[in-house]
Parts: sequence; C-alpha cells; structure tokens
Amino acid sequence: MLKRAGAACAMSLALVASATAADAPSEIKIGTLFASSGRYASISMPVHSGLKLWVDAKNADGGVYVKAFDRKLPIKLVAYDDQSNTATASTLYNQLITQDKVDILVADSGSVLTAPAVAIARDRKMFLFDQTGTGASFFSKDNPYVALMADPVSTVWPKPVADFLIHDGPALGIKKVALLYSTNEFTGTQATAVRNFLKDSGAPIEIVYDQGVPTETTSYTVIINNIRAAQPDAVIHLGYAPNDIAFLRNVQDVGIKFKMLFCIYPGLETELLEKNVGNKGLEHVFTYVPPSQLAYEPDFGMKLAEFRAAWDKKYSDGKVEFGFNSVAGYTTALVIEKALSEASSLDQLELRRAVFGLSGKLKTLDGTFALDDTGGQIGELTPLGQLEIDEHDHLKFVTVYPHEVANGKPIYPRP
Amino acid sequence: MLYPLIAGILFGLYFSLVGIGLNLVFGVMRIVNLAHGDFLMLGAFVAFGVVSLAALDPLFAVPLAFVVFLVVGLVLYRLLVPRLQRAKDPEMLSIILFFGLSQVIEAVMTIGFGTSERSLPSRELGRSLAALRVRLFGGTVDSGPVEILGQSFPAPWLAAAITSLIAIALVYLYLYRSRLGTLTRAVMSRRDEALATGIDVHRVSAAAFGIGLGLAAISGVFAPFMFGSFTPAFGVDATVTSFVVVVLGSLGNPLGTALGGVIYGVSYMFVQTYLSSWADLLPYVLLIAILLLRPSGLLGRRVRVA
Repeated sequence: MLKRAGAACAMSLALVASATAADAPSEIKIGTLFASSGRYASISMPVHSGLKLWVDAKNADGGVYVKAFDRKLPIKLVAYDDQSNTATASTLYNQLITQDKVDILVADSGSVLTAPAVAIARDRKMFLFDQTGTGASFFSKDNPYVALMADPVSTVWPKPVADFLIHDGPALGIKKVALLYSTNEFTGTQATAVRNFLKDSGAPIEIVYDQGVPTETTSYTVIINNIRAAQPDAVIHLGYAPNDIAFLRNVQDVGIKFKMLFCIYPGLETELLEKNVGNKGLEHVFTYVPPSQLAYEPDFGMKLAEFRAAWDKKYSDGKVEFGFNSVAGYTTALVIEKALSEASSLDQLELRRAVFGLSGKLKTLDGTFALDDTGGQIGELTPLGQLEIDEHDHLKFVTVYPHEVANGKPIYPRP
Repeated sequence: MLYPLIAGILFGLYFSLVGIGLNLVFGVMRIVNLAHGDFLMLGAFVAFGVVSLAALDPLFAVPLAFVVFLVVGLVLYRLLVPRLQRAKDPEMLSIILFFGLSQVIEAVMTIGFGTSERSLPSRELGRSLAALRVRLFGGTVDSGPVEILGQSFPAPWLAAAITSLIAIALVYLYLYRSRLGTLTRAVMSRRDEALATGIDVHRVSAAAFGIGLGLAAISGVFAPFMFGSFTPAFGVDATVTSFVVVVLGSLGNPLGTALGGVIYGVSYMFVQTYLSSWADLLPYVLLIAILLLRPSGLLGRRVRVA
C-alpha cells in the first residue's frame, strides 16, 4: 500500500514537473519604450541603455532565472521608439500589452512618458515597472499595478532641499525664495512639495517668486530678470536637463549671480550639464547628490565602478552619457531580476507581490529599494549637495544636507 | 516693461532671421518646406564643427554655412522641386515630401551624433572680433553681457540680432536692387505670368531655394546661443515658429518678416513675464489671430493665393 502511494506521489510530481517544463515559455518578454529623439531623449536613452546592458549581459549568461519555471529563460526585449510623444507612447504601450503580449511592462523614462503607461497598465491589469516616472498622481492605494523603481517619488524627492532651507536657511540669511518650475508632472509635483514643505514648516521663509513655465522653454533671460527683481536669497529651479542647460547658460550670459541656486540635473546628469554649461557655470550650484558620489554598497548586482566599466565597454561611442539615469535603468533591471527569482508565477499581481516583498531588503548601487504601500519609491533618497571646482579644475560634489551624511559646509552666498 | 521690450526686439530679430529663408521659399515656389527647421539644426552642427574641429570663432560658420547650404539648396531643388511642380497639387505634395525629408535628416543626424544636447560656450561667439578690437584699440576681451539702456542682455543675442538685420538688408537689396531679385519678385507675384513672359522660373526658384536654405543655416549657427542647446530633433519647433513669423509679416516681403519676428519676440517676452505658463501657446494664438484678422499678413497687400 505504501509502495503504491509512494509510486503515485512520484508519478504526480513527475507529471507536475513535466507539465511545468512544457508550460515554460521559450523566453521572457520584457516590453518597454524609449525616446530616441525629442525633448526627453537625453533622459530616456541612458535609462533604456542601462536596461539593455542588463538584458544583453543576462542573455550572454544563458538568461534570467525565473522561479515560476525553475529555470533560466532568455530575455526578449521588445522596445519601441515613442519619439518623446505621449500619443505615440499610448499607442505603443497598448501594442506591447495586446499584440506583443509581453510578460513584463516597463515604462519609458520620466513622468511625462510614464503618465500614459500608468493609466493603460491599470486598465489592462498589467503591473508597470515605472523606472523614473516620479509623479505623485501615479501612486494611490486603489491602484496595485504600478511601482517606482529607481527615483524617489516627487513628493519626497525635494525634501532635503526644503529641509535645508527650513533648518539651515534662516541662520545663513535665507528668508526669501524664488521657485521656478517646468509645468509637467515631474517638476510640477516637486514644486508643490517644496511649497508645502516650506509652508507647513512655519519657518520664516517667504516665497517671493513662484512661476511655472512650459517644459519646452529654451529662453529664460526675461524670467531671470524678473526673478532678480524679486530679490530672492535662494532660487529653486525645477526642470528637465534641457531646461537646466538653458537656464544656467542664461544666468551666466546675463551675468547674474544668485546667492543660492538649486537645479536638479547638474547632479543627475553631471557629464551632460558639464559639457553644455561648463565648470564655471556649475560652480556653487546646489543639486541632488547622485548615487555615484555616495558609493552605496550593493548586495545585488554590480557595484558602481563595475557598472561604469561595463557601460564604457558597451557604449564606447559616447553618444549616450553615463549618469544617474543610466543607473536608474540598471536598477530597474535588477528589481525585475530579483522579482522573477521570487515570484511563483508570472501573474501580474504575483509579480507585484514579489516586487513589494523586496522593499527594504534589496540594496543596489542606487541605494536601498523601499516602497510605500502605494508603490512610490521612498528609499534611494538623494541628499543635497553643492558643486565645487577642485584643484585639478574638475567638478566635485560636496554633500551639505542632511548633516549626518554631509561632508562639507555650504558656500553661501555664492561668491 | 523696458527689459522684456528690449529682450523681445533682440529675440524677435533673431526669429526674423529664422523665418526669412522660409519666406523666400514659400513666396517664390509656393512650397511648404517642413524641413526648414532641420536646415537650421544642420547650421547649428556646422557651428559646432567649426568650434570643436577647427577651434575657430563660430562667426566663421556664418559664411561657411551659407555657402554650403546654398549649394545644397541648388542640388535639392534640381532633385525634388521640378518633379514636385509637375504634380496636380504641388503644395499638398510638398508638405508630405518635405515632412519626409525632415524625418530623414533628423534620423540620419541622430544615428550619426546621438540624441544628447550640444551647445557652445557663449564666450566663443565673436572672440575673433573682440581680439581684433583689442589689437586695434587696446582694452581687454570681455565676454560678459552687453548693456542696453542700463539693462544686461546676453552678448550672443545682440550678435544674432545684428546678423539678422544685415541678412534682412541683404535680402532686401537682392530682391529690390538686383536683376535676379526683380525676377524673383515677378515669380512671387504671378508664377504663370512670369513663365509666359520668358523668365527662367526654374533658375530664379533654384536661387531662392538655395538662399532660403542658406539663411536657415545661418540662423542655426546662433541656435546654440539662443536656445541653450540643440539636438537633431530641434528642427520641428523652429519650423512652426518660422511659419508664424512669416505669416505674421507677409509673404515675399523681407521687412514683413522682420516685423513678424519682432512682434513674435516682444509678445513672447511679455507673455513670459505676465503669463509664463502660457508662453508655448503664443505662436498658435498669433497664427490664428492673424489668419482671422488679416490673412495677407501685416504688410501684405492682398490675400494669398496659396
């Protein structure tokens, strides 16, 4: 009797195993979009290249381990070019889901091109691996189909800047702040967050200039003059990389030196900004300190130096700059890899469970991956830093806030 | 009030330069050159090449870009336009054809140079002239802002505005003081009648097309300084704004383009000052307004046939 039962069990297990093997797909399809041209190309291509680097490395190694099938499967990256156009992106996200039937859906970079994916993924019940779309409206308790992989959510991201103004600002003499932002989800949300942080703090800080400009703005000369007229002690400019380039160049060209000037992208895409604005234009500018300056010790995936070496080898033509966004693309890939190794099936909610299970436990070169219950990224925070020029005429980051990670004092007012 | 006004005039004069080439091409051939902005982008790459490869003042790129794209225009005209004008509806077909050309140019440049922003240091523009001034009159090379009526403006804006005024004057002289220009105006006025009177319409049109592209390329030389940076995808927005400037002024009149550019520039700067979030809508609002109120443009004499 026992023998029969044992044989039956063995047969059942064999059948299950063979069924699993038979059901295993020949490949894992990851669908994503990128922008090879247009406004967002300079932030999209590094992210996409970071993801692609991981795909090629995994495929060269026989594929990615998928727990659901207990084997390595090659990855098929289905990637379309949305040309920075949200209407095109909407069509292509739908195509990835309905025609290509991808197993994993990854958004393009940035909030503008992620926004259509959030709505579509929710409607189609596909879990969206949101790479760098930090818009706060993407994340809500009633939408289980999205999580932010590699950047802090916009409502949290500017906290170090606001905290610096609130706690250190008055002692430095910062009483009046000018806020200029591009009117899109990414920077609009950050502007709202800064405004709210300052207002809620009760600190003696007044916002004396608060204006939004279209994201496509390329000329800031008149706006800079208007800001100067408001006589702020600190200027917070929140825009994408092309906005920062145009703004910082215009500040230089009209010969104005604001006492404190904060911009996002000198920290995130330092090479790109240095190339376009120059060292002198970036000197004393406050910005986010990227992971590359903090050297997080990862417990999964490559270290920053290894990733940089792999990047330089693969993209030796220099057409896509290495920076924060390239790290973000690779970080997304690591979360996907880890989730596939822990999810018991490719069911979208099971993938979500696996991703949320990583929260607080996964440490990559981008810092600690941590999600709140809506899917917003609350780890991977970027401290506030200031760019200075060292004795070799190179830019260096000085972390100035929070104090526990600071390695220098802020230079204020700007000489 | 004074700052946005002066800034708008300088900025607008630059946009006159951006639009004047398009004015010539549209006025003479009734061809909608949707690749106009892409030739502007190519002009920016010429300036980039002049600085990064030859370490020269970007101002040297002005004659170079003009000559190169004059020749390119003559060749392109021979290749494309006569065939286009044999079609039943050349205007409509030109939109499709030049849209395609725009896409090809952008794609080729993206493949060749990548998608990243490029720019040139502002101090590079005019440094040869500054060095010459120092040699002749002494003093020091100053790459800072320029003062106009007590207000500071970027020096490249003034350089672009002066270049634009020179270009407009030269186009005016070409159209009103040269034989080829007189023939060009005849073709602009009535192409069929010009043909009937024995004017070599193709020769006149080819010259206008070449000069149009050359002027677009010259305006591109200043683009890195006026817009902060440029990419291969930069052309589309420039094309839209060019159309607004041209339609605002009037077809076939370089002074009209100058006026259109200045109105656009001043309006843009005032909108940025008082309604900054809406600044992007301005070209379209101006376009709709002028088409409704004065379809022939501010300096136009009659409603366009096109």
